[in-house]
Amino acid sequence: MSTDTADRSVRRSTNSFAGDVWVNFKRWNLKAVRNPFVLVVSLVQPIIFLVLFTQVFGEVAGGAVNRGQPGISYETYLVPAIAVQVALAAAVTSGVGLVNDIENGMFEKVLVSPMNRTAVFVGKTAAEVFRIAVQVVIILGLGVLLGAEIATGVAGAAAIVGVGVLFSLWFVAFSNAVAVITKDQESTIIGANLLQFPLLFLSSAFLPLEVLPGWIQTFARFNPVTYGVDTARAIMLDADVMTVVEVSRFGGAMDTVVPGVAVLAGLALLFGGVAVTLLSRASSSNVQ
Amino acid sequence: MTTSPGEEHRRGNGAGSAVPAAIDADGLRLTYADGTEAVRGVDLRVPEGEFFGFLGPNGAGKTTTIKVLATLLAPTGGTVRVNGFDVSAEPRKIRESIGYMAQETSIDPELTAAENVRFACEAYGVPRSERDDRVAELLELVDLEDVADKRAEEFSGGMKKRLDAATALVHRPPLVFLDEPTTGLDPKARNRLWDYFRRINDRGTTIFLTTQYLEEADQLCDRLAVILDGEITEDGSPAELKRRVGGEVLEVELAEPAAADRAAAVAREAGLFGDGTVETTAEGLSVTSQQARERGTELLVALRDQGVGVTGFNIRAPTLDDVFLAITGEHLDSETGAETDPAEVEA
Repeated sequence: MSTDTADRSVRRSTNSFAGDVWVNFKRWNLKAVRNPFVLVVSLVQPIIFLVLFTQVFGEVAGGAVNRGQPGISYETYLVPAIAVQVALAAAVTSGVGLVNDIENGMFEKVLVSPMNRTAVFVGKTAAEVFRIAVQVVIILGLGVLLGAEIATGVAGAAAIVGVGVLFSLWFVAFSNAVAVITKDQESTIIGANLLQFPLLFLSSAFLPLEVLPGWIQTFARFNPVTYGVDTARAIMLDADVMTVVEVSRFGGAMDTVVPGVAVLAGLALLFGGVAVTLLSRASSSNVQ
Repeated sequence: MTTSPGEEHRRGNGAGSAVPAAIDADGLRLTYADGTEAVRGVDLRVPEGEFFGFLGPNGAGKTTTIKVLATLLAPTGGTVRVNGFDVSAEPRKIRESIGYMAQETSIDPELTAAENVRFACEAYGVPRSERDDRVAELLELVDLEDVADKRAEEFSGGMKKRLDAATALVHRPPLVFLDEPTTGLDPKARNRLWDYFRRINDRGTTIFLTTQYLEEADQLCDRLAVILDGEITEDGSPAELKRRVGGEVLEVELAEPAAADRAAAVAREAGLFGDGTVETTAEGLSVTSQQARERGTELLVALRDQGVGVTGFNIRAPTLDDVFLAITGEHLDSETGAETDPAEVEA
């Protein structure tokens, strides 16, 4: 028999910001593990691309690649692009997770809890970014098995993972924004997936821009994928591969990495700001 | 264990006449951006320990009110204090000290029952050392201990609701909001939830319940308020509200229901029931009056004299459905919440 009736002063171990982030990080990771299907699906397509493209187009594409970068195998050329593709595919599921949360009531449940709302979304995003990092590592490992070479070694591989994560942020934000606006799972998947292929093909992902038609070169200049792929590729090859922006003051690969990271960080801030605004509006006037 | 009922009822423990208010709302208004006035100046005072019922049809403003009290919506007017904190100034203090069960079942289907409760423990900052016990205790309370490690997506609607209820209580909040908690449940599942709500109220927890089931309000609540079109039209204990209906109800079953209009005219012209009301029903006639008991036989005689055949009659105390009818002119069907529209005749 106890006497623990309800009390006005609820005993609460202090919930810090970091604590709230951790709680949500754990929940979303648990959900990802529970749903290995999602994890696998967002890996399958990029892996198919990696294997098929290198096997089918390897000979032809290798020639085009070597006009700009002599002595590079198509595997080595393609792996950074596939790493970015993985980040893109995985980021789509972020918005889907948000829609599911809105639909099954967990979104409101979290809003009515005393957790810091920013921490809630940081925790969720951290879990997705963590998953993207793991997937990029898998792609890099597979690429090396297929014969790709990372000129900058293990440190370079880690940097490519970092670029994948940085690149994913704008698309994570984008898919969450679509999720808040549509509140509909299909629209979110379609909206984000529809963009995936045009973004990939109309960029420097699969072939050097020089061999592509002029309109694609123009589009690629404004395509975030170009900046993600070029940055990752510069680290992969340890060379300045960026052609859409000419920078020469840092020397070597840094002439690509510095502007690339700057553009990606800017995009992340821009899209992140939009998504946060939409999310906080949805949270404060959460009306059915 | 903490589930034993009636140990320390807050109302009864001699705190004097001034029981602190769990909810104190003054002129609560909420107008949506599109101009819809969902709540139009609601005054509410719910003392600690009370089982309070908020009754009304769909769209009356119940959920909007509960969302303001739970800090999900900011009021557009009035002052609202919950557990002593102002909803606009200190929403987080309120969130720490309330449990909230939304109208739509809110659980994570991909997590197990235990994981759902554990997540709530973490969200509400239940001390780490107490979490295991708390999860076990709450799952036992809602009879889900056998399926603790099953994913919630496999559960029936009733089980999901009970799990949802458990997650709303992890931090032992002194005040719990239940927004139509039994809508869509079968009677057995509903009874189990009622038991559970009674138990936590017996432990001293204040409960704010919205419902469209009159039977639910009658069974559970100490006090009720009826909300219609965003305004409270009536409040009191279930017994008080029933008294206000104005007497008992005499139901007459006619041999030919088609004769109901004629029977109503007879009842009206006989002048037996003072200011009571006479209305036709599917079976025949229903008379609500202080004199229903004394004058009932005289009505039956009058009907016989006029050649209206009577096959049955019944005198009963008014139900909350009658209360609702008296206030709104509309039935609120106690099972489906569907509104019917009886032809009403003044006696």
